[in-house]
Amino acid sequence: MNKAKPMMSNRTLTLQVNGQPQTLEVPSGQILLETLREALDLVGARNSCGIGMCGTCTVLVDGMAISSCLTLTAQVEGKHITTIEGLSQNGQLHPVQQAYIDHGAFQCAYCTPGLILSTVALLNEHVNPDDATVREYLAGNLCRCGSYVNILNAVRACHTIND
Amino acid sequence: MAIGKSVPMLDSVARVTGTVPYASNLKLPDMLVGKVFRSSVPHARTIKLDVSAAEQLPGVVAIVTAADFAGDDTPNLHFGSTIQDQPVVAGDRIRFIGEPVALIAAESVVIADQAMDLIELEYEEIPAIFDAEEALLPGAPVLHEAFPDNLLGHSKLRRGDIEAGFAAADEIFEEVFSSPVAQQASLETQVAAARWKDGKLTVWTGSQSPYTVRRVLSAIFDLDVEDVRVIVPPLGGGFGGKGNIRTQPMAAALAWKVGDRPVKLVMTRAEEFLTVTKHAAKIIVKSGVKLDGTFTARKVTIYWNAGAYASSSAHLVPAGMLRALGPYRIPAGHVDSYGIYTNLPIAAAYRGAMSSQGVFAHESHMDTIAHRLGIDPLELRIKNLLRTDDIFATGERLHDIHFVECLEAAADGLGWHEPLQRENGTVKKRGRGVAVMMKNTIANSSSECRIKLDAEGRVTLYTSTVETGQGGHTAMAQIAAEALGVPIEALTVIGPDTAETPPDAQTASSRSTHMMGNAVLNGAASLRQHLAEAAAPILEWSPEDLSVADGYVFVTTQPQERIPYAEVLGRKNIAALTATGKYWTNEGKLDPETGQGISTPDWHQGAGACEVEVDTQTGKVTVLRYHSASFAGRVVNPTLAGLQNDGNVIFGLGASLLEEVAIDGGQITNPNLSDYMLPSFLDIPVELKNVSLEAEGSTFQGIGEMTLPPVAPAIANAIYDAVGARIRDLPLTAEKVLRVIHEQGEADDEQ
Ligand code: FES
Ligand code: FES
Repeated sequence: MNKAKPMMSNRTLTLQVNGQPQTLEVPSGQILLETLREALDLVGARNSCGIGMCGTCTVLVDGMAISSCLTLTAQVEGKHITTIEGLSQNGQLHPVQQAYIDHGAFQCAYCTPGLILSTVALLNEHVNPDDATVREYLAGNLCRCGSYVNILNAVRACHTIND
Repeated sequence: MAIGKSVPMLDSVARVTGTVPYASNLKLPDMLVGKVFRSSVPHARTIKLDVSAAEQLPGVVAIVTAADFAGDDTPNLHFGSTIQDQPVVAGDRIRFIGEPVALIAAESVVIADQAMDLIELEYEEIPAIFDAEEALLPGAPVLHEAFPDNLLGHSKLRRGDIEAGFAAADEIFEEVFSSPVAQQASLETQVAAARWKDGKLTVWTGSQSPYTVRRVLSAIFDLDVEDVRVIVPPLGGGFGGKGNIRTQPMAAALAWKVGDRPVKLVMTRAEEFLTVTKHAAKIIVKSGVKLDGTFTARKVTIYWNAGAYASSSAHLVPAGMLRALGPYRIPAGHVDSYGIYTNLPIAAAYRGAMSSQGVFAHESHMDTIAHRLGIDPLELRIKNLLRTDDIFATGERLHDIHFVECLEAAADGLGWHEPLQRENGTVKKRGRGVAVMMKNTIANSSSECRIKLDAEGRVTLYTSTVETGQGGHTAMAQIAAEALGVPIEALTVIGPDTAETPPDAQTASSRSTHMMGNAVLNGAASLRQHLAEAAAPILEWSPEDLSVADGYVFVTTQPQERIPYAEVLGRKNIAALTATGKYWTNEGKLDPETGQGISTPDWHQGAGACEVEVDTQTGKVTVLRYHSASFAGRVVNPTLAGLQNDGNVIFGLGASLLEEVAIDGGQITNPNLSDYMLPSFLDIPVELKNVSLEAEGSTFQGIGEMTLPPVAPAIANAIYDAVGARIRDLPLTAEKVLRVIHEQGEADDEQ
């Protein structure tokens, strides 16, 4: 984050964020992570590595998990963006969020929104993925606290939710 | 019963909805952005620092340099939690690449970055020294004139007649081990924000040591401690690194110069590597052993690379001494633990601090001995492990000792005595290894809490235990709930905030569950006493005849004569009852020449056992199965305890196989998460299991680190078991494995 270049021109664009249209004026070189955190106050997406290696900045764009630290806001104009704040509906946790709680799948939770969104994307793409698929798919989301075993258990539990 | 249950973390919903209020999220009205201008040379005398052009830049509000500390009424330039050797910003001397030289407060990051380019620094380079052992040699460049031999600390342990011990041995073994600089790499980087108002300072920071931050800041700014308020929201990981005080003095100095607006300083990932690291260490272990596997003597020499400033090294170097011999019965033991200044970034605590390096050494060494003597590595350990009532090398009598149980639990989990299929006709070979660890905790420290019960029956626990992700607040709430006989839902935990929550040494060295946990028990006991006193006139019995449990005050002999807590307060018209609880230990005062005395209230104990596969063509090591065990005394929350055990193993896998801060001429060349790799889902064993051992009558013991230090030696021992190659320097990379396999092949050919 915070890699905005000096002397950039501003640009007005509309994003669909968590089902709501948002018309914003942002510097043309601004990354999505910064727009979400600074302009929209959606701080569940987090900066950690800034170079696409850790997954703490993960959000869904048209259902696909992407690193918002590597994505220019202008690139996602008109697309549907889901952040962790938009996952629960009417105060009801999403089943993946609930599974993470039930299986104690976090510690400091700095990685958790990114992991939950990646899990949602995983389950969109794969019906009942096996462990190897889960490990491979979630390998881009680091958890320094090392909650991986419980995360795997939470994802396994989500299969039964899907069934 | 709330203790022993896997209660979800109290703020679980916030954790899965992304609303945990980390310091990195903090936004204050009118807040400015802080930025650090850093040195690009490892050792230099400053000739000129010109910030005038940067100051002129519109949007720059203030720039802090050492000149701001030069007057009579200015803050003090130097700080430190033990040795005050570190300047807030470098003055006439620069001591490592990346040392802060000037601080900028600006309206935006873009402006702060532009200002950085306008700062001019002229300096004269002087010779630098990066290797700890070389820094001790006569004629080496000196970092601090007060420490002419670069030695910031030398801890000595002297037990028994070491020479007689070696003379009595059948075999002498001597090996050298090394561990590299590593980085804690919390996913949330270090953050501090500061604001001054009416001569008082408030700091929001992701720190493991709120009260130490307060003390250090009050010393820098010559304030009463009460005039400094330190607020610590939940951390996005700590791992020891956030016990290092560095961002807070800079944020406070910026806000001081600015005057009326808050300033927030967030380390970038690259800056994180310049802010704190893990001690690199070189360790020489020499043992005298009888042919039956009995030890006669052990001598350990450790060179800790502390970097340019002492930070917490002054108290970590003695801890490293205590952890160096290993948990074994050895009649003569000598340790020399040297903490040494070099021109590198500061080293401080890294999860398993001063244990991981030493355990890698003594546990690899144990296997070298076992193989040479033809004794099973597990048997050699069990034969020699310390037991309760044994006398340790400090002369202290040991209590609550469970090394054998820990080691056996891990080894049995793995199936140590089952046959292992070592080869399957491919280039891959399998092997197994075990390791065990002991560490002291922070002795001579105290923890305090306050517990409030209100007229609705709600309980609020005020504690300075930092929620680092370990679930500390949940564990404390469970302890309080059980001790007061209320449901966990009745609990709210507040803190840390030095204006509201009582003092606590720090959240480090796995001390909180034990220290703060017992403070909570004491606070709850005194709150129950207050309840009995308040209820006595209502029940018309004296307080001594009353019991307090399960939400009621009742007559001990007639339990049906009872009254709910809330009603006691309601009828007596009391808004709230409050009690404080305190717990402290006085150990840790050792003789400086011999290390004799009582070093710790409790010993931390853990073990690990693993099976690895080594690809003999590429050198790649895969840990297939790992079983860990820690001694928990009494488990407060099984799920959280399991996360600590597994989290340690995964953290340890990083340090064992992947992590090394690469440094060239004092310059870190991999300060990012692409080149400095952390363990991902693909690096963890397919079978990863843990157990927390309990013991009848035992109290809560810390488990935040115990299963970490055994990881590296267990893997190194398994590699040796698989391919006969012994690697003595971490990390255990494929290149090193391959090299040792080849060297070995050549040696075999010559025979
Ligand atoms: S911050 Fe985007 S991947 Fe790490
Ligand atoms: S829970 Fe801390 S990084 Fe995953």
